[in-house]
Amino acid sequence: MQCRDRQPAPTLEPAGPGRGEGIGATGLGGSAVAGHDSDQIETMEPVKDRIIKVTFNADVHASLHWNFRPQQTEIYVVPGETALAFYKAKNSTDKPVIGISTYNVVPFEAGQYFNKIQCFCFEEQRLNPQEEVDMPVFFFIDPEFAEDPRMANVDLITLSYTFFEAKEGHILPLPGYQ
Amino acid sequence: MSTAMNFGSKSFTPRPPDKGAFPLDHLGECKGFKEKFMKCLRENSFENALCRQESKEYLECRMERQLMAKEPLEKLGFKDLIDEKSEAKLKTL
Repeated sequence: MQCRDRQPAPTLEPAGPGRGEGIGATGLGGSAVAGHDSDQIETMEPVKDRIIKVTFNADVHASLHWNFRPQQTEIYVVPGETALAFYKAKNSTDKPVIGISTYNVVPFEAGQYFNKIQCFCFEEQRLNPQEEVDMPVFFFIDPEFAEDPRMANVDLITLSYTFFEAKEGHILPLPGYQ
Repeated sequence: MSTAMNFGSKSFTPRPPDKGAFPLDHLGECKGFKEKFMKCLRENSFENALCRQESKEYLECRMERQLMAKEPLEKLGFKDLIDEKSEAKLKTL
């Protein structure tokens, strides 16, 4: 099951005749964060004097018998620069297992600036018996992080992923999980 | 004047990734590019800025093998690397 065709966030377009809504700078709504569509990625500039250390945690729920771990303990990034990191997962059982993951970012307030372009989360991932795969995370920290006075002393962000087993009939507390 | 969006003291809410999930590279088709990237990180004190060429190559590998939706590299944040490549090409003409 692949979701490559999931639509990216809508780009800003001028409201035309007949359009009920216009997505403008003031219309992002209370739950949205600063737009991180591909136009922003294309034009954003790295804030080279704000080096942030990103560290990585990996957890599995007790019932999931996978070895799951980050492939790097840390990466140094700057806001406005896309970055790649890897986790690795192995199904150490003798049966196929479907897992699904969620993630957490600390400090919480920095999470709004942590933008995942693509990763392995929120989609069921099936590993065959004894199979091991690389799991990439492609992300960036929004350049507005550097302008937020609350973030002035934040130079460490920790990204944690947790894998659960996706069993039929189970409902997991994940955004959009069906 | 209304103030900017106020996130207050909300706890962290995970968001799905912008472009969805990467399909798993079950066959390890891009493993070599991953290894090259990881080696670059280890040799450069894990500084992402010094390994962007390798990360670009990994993502290009995925795009070439249907393991990632094809995107212009500028939209993945690599516009400066493309410019350098074009310049290098011009020099070899």
